[in-house]
Amino acid sequence: MRKLTLVSFLVLAGAGAATLLTEPDMTSDVPVIYWSTDPNPARIKQVDQFHEWLVENGHTTMDGRPNVELRLETVAADRKGIIQGVSGVAADIMDCNIPWYQSIGILADVTEEAERDGFGTDSTYDALEPLLTVDGRQYGFPCNVYVMGLWVNVDTFTKLGMEPPPTHWDWDTFERIGKEFVHRANPAGQRQTVFFVNRIEHAFFVRAMHRSLGVSDFNETMTASGLDHAGFAETLARIRKWTFEDHIAASKAEETAFSAESGYSGAGLTLLNKGNYGTYTIGRWVLIRLRQFEDPPSVSASHFPHGGFPNTLIAARTAAVYAGSPHLVEAKLFLAYLASEVYNIGIVESADAMPPIPEFTRTEGYLRPAEYPNEWGAHEIPAQGAESIAITLSTSPFVPSATVDRYKKRALEQVMAGLATPEQGAAEAASRIDAEIQLALVDSPTLRRRYAGAVALQEKIDSYRQMGRPIPMEWIKNPFHRVYYGSKGWIKNEPDGRGA
Amino acid sequence: MNRRNVRDVSVGLSFLAPNILGFLVFTLGPLLFSMYLAFTNWDLRLHNMFKEEPLRFVQLENFSRMLDDPDFWQYLGNTLFLMMSIPFAIAGSLVAAILLSQDTDGGSGWVRRRLIASAGLVFGVSCLVLAGAGVSAVTILIVGLAGAILLGGTTGGTTVYRTLFFLPHFTSGVATFILWKKLYNPSTGPITTALQPLLDLTGGVVTSVPAQLIRSCSWLCILLMVGGFYLGVRRLFLYWRDGEMGGFTVLLGLVFMTLPAACSTAWANPQSASGLVLAGAAVSLLLFGGRAVKGRGYPCRADEGLGDGIMFSATLMVVGFGLLGLGNVLYDLPVKAAAGLETPEWLTQYNWAKPSLMFMGLWAGIGSNNMLLYLAGLSNVPGELYEAAEIDGTSAFQKFWHVTWPQLAPVTFFIVVMSTIGGLQGGFEMARVMTEGGPAGSTTTLSYYVYTEGFTTGRLGYAAGVAWAMFALVFAVTLFNWKFGSRQIND
Repeated sequence: MRKLTLVSFLVLAGAGAATLLTEPDMTSDVPVIYWSTDPNPARIKQVDQFHEWLVENGHTTMDGRPNVELRLETVAADRKGIIQGVSGVAADIMDCNIPWYQSIGILADVTEEAERDGFGTDSTYDALEPLLTVDGRQYGFPCNVYVMGLWVNVDTFTKLGMEPPPTHWDWDTFERIGKEFVHRANPAGQRQTVFFVNRIEHAFFVRAMHRSLGVSDFNETMTASGLDHAGFAETLARIRKWTFEDHIAASKAEETAFSAESGYSGAGLTLLNKGNYGTYTIGRWVLIRLRQFEDPPSVSASHFPHGGFPNTLIAARTAAVYAGSPHLVEAKLFLAYLASEVYNIGIVESADAMPPIPEFTRTEGYLRPAEYPNEWGAHEIPAQGAESIAITLSTSPFVPSATVDRYKKRALEQVMAGLATPEQGAAEAASRIDAEIQLALVDSPTLRRRYAGAVALQEKIDSYRQMGRPIPMEWIKNPFHRVYYGSKGWIKNEPDGRGA
Repeated sequence: MNRRNVRDVSVGLSFLAPNILGFLVFTLGPLLFSMYLAFTNWDLRLHNMFKEEPLRFVQLENFSRMLDDPDFWQYLGNTLFLMMSIPFAIAGSLVAAILLSQDTDGGSGWVRRRLIASAGLVFGVSCLVLAGAGVSAVTILIVGLAGAILLGGTTGGTTVYRTLFFLPHFTSGVATFILWKKLYNPSTGPITTALQPLLDLTGGVVTSVPAQLIRSCSWLCILLMVGGFYLGVRRLFLYWRDGEMGGFTVLLGLVFMTLPAACSTAWANPQSASGLVLAGAAVSLLLFGGRAVKGRGYPCRADEGLGDGIMFSATLMVVGFGLLGLGNVLYDLPVKAAAGLETPEWLTQYNWAKPSLMFMGLWAGIGSNNMLLYLAGLSNVPGELYEAAEIDGTSAFQKFWHVTWPQLAPVTFFIVVMSTIGGLQGGFEMARVMTEGGPAGSTTTLSYYVYTEGFTTGRLGYAAGVAWAMFALVFAVTLFNWKFGSRQIND
């Protein structure tokens, strides 16, 4: 028995030592940094490219090797990143929601390095600034940029004897074309198997719709919800109508009935390719999957339909540096690499959304990829949208975006299930978000001070609005209102760009 | 204590040390820490190694906030609703255990019959497939599966059946949830595919008979509900009069039994049915209330017979709700049948999401540890008791009711306690994988709420408060079970 115990102990000790010695950090003689990102095969190539980029830019050891080693940690788990972050063990570089992560305090300020190494906010889309900065300080850089919209299978429309949808359209045009599409595509008396659009309940679609009626998630200073508004109620009502009355959009059950979703829109894109969906709510990365099909269809793109104010959503998969990283300098180099030519060309070629540097969307390689003539004419639509009508998300420092999305989703589900009227749904969403804001203030003196200042500003804005006086741009914190008010001529100084 | 004893104790403790240390570090420590959290305003956004906001001791603030939190109450309601499948799962486990305790490896005649049945099924399936007579894949699947099970039982006997019944328990939860997601597919799922022809048939029958006839069945359900309530009150009165149940027990029973009648004011279709239900309930209560005023012959403790009383009234409550629902369905049936009866969108429809998850839980619950416990319990029932019962000329049901059931009481008590605890704590995996707590929060349970509050919103203090409220609930229910359930067993 004693021998057995001793042997067991020795085996365990040996296994422990072996594990320790094979730890990645122990097998590298240069600092190892980790990049927490999604499990996309393209990341492996990007890691190799980064190492090459380091050598080309002189970040090497004495013997000419990269002076840092980048490794992947492919967890696409937002919450895991936060838990690791507050526990002091997060990856050095994280793909994350910068305003949310920064509010927790786990991101490193990269403003100086961004200016010095050429990855400042001026090098990417103007509209993305609120997504990359907090209180004027920069905390990250986009890995890729996406403008959400409807991607169109042109062949399906051609087969039905219809023109593909226009790039810009209003709600009535969308409804008219949608009804015509489903009428032509589905034989009478049979179960509907073809839909004009996969699902309208997508958070970005909903947001673009209510924004087109002048309604934002928040007021101008982000101190209260703006959703208790007839415009949001009208949006909810219209989504219900398009889904259950006009049947131009698949309901959640109908979407589920087709197949379970997985990966990059999983089976949904197979259905777009097959013609079960005429259009699909997604970004440019749709092309990654479509290119894998044997005979990919001709594609086009349309922006979300609007109710008067054309707009679309611009967002990004942003990389930021963990404040607790033991290799801050090396990790920040990675952000400089994201602004490099080699990285941006890689994004252009792989169709992994749009490159972070807008100039690359004006190249021939982006606009007319030689291997994919079926895509010609589609690429410029999101790119132009990004620089014209795109506005980024409105993120309040007083309430997490995930909470706002949760209450909006719940309002929509209640309306779709007939549990609430659109007006009730809108009012409840707003009141729940406001309650969350108040709750956050109770615990934080810092937030309370900030909130008090913002509320005072809001009162001034409201009084100016009542008097019909133009409002100074710097008073408005909500990127949507900056653009919307600008378009209405309610701003004292016009902004330089959308969301500036 | 002499030196030798000290040495022995030290040796003993050193052997126990790894386990004790593990318990202290990984169980007791986090437990106490979470209790501490529940009384603070700990928020990930404000209190972490990168922030300097002061952590505040908020006393009972988290718990008082819970009382005003509509989400908490909705999710508690969801949790309790999902727990309604527990009695059915226990009953299913018992039935399964009784069936599986039978000797199915009997004589050659038994084997021959099963072989013939299996061969017939396989032959039938083959014919259907060859004929391609529009038979759905589901029918083929079900018939084929039945054939395989019968055939398996022929060769492997009871062991095969026991393994099959226990299969859901040792299969990974997430895997079975994904499987059930497929089964619930509103278009191509086997459940929908199997049900739709039945609904078509029902629709055809319903449209061929006068609508009034169907609706009168709805009124019949209402009358049965009233009649059931009357009989229930009468039975409670008799128990009370004869000293078998105390005043508190009867009152609690009446509360349970009155619930369907109260809910009928909101749910009954047509609304006038609610009037009938309430009038019937009022008459019954007045009638026996009047008799109760005269007093009773055999006084007893106020909580006398509480376990039996709850079982009795809860059963009647479930029956009452069932009849109310059935009445509603029958009332609407002619209109719905005229438009064509459709299977529900199981997981995406607000009113169906919870029952769908319950049904899945029932499936998993029948072939679980409960079944094994009952199997063990059944093997411990003394054979002499059955022999004595047979000599007395009892029927099979009487044998079960007077021998098996009482002998299994300790096992049942243990199962009820454990299932209640599991039910109150459970639902997280199911909600996360199958519905993400939706639609409109209809499948979010308390455990899922703890997760979203803690890790989505970042309010660890409040999440810990909800977790401890759950613990308090579990503790209270267990205490109740222990106090009244164990008395029944000892009786």
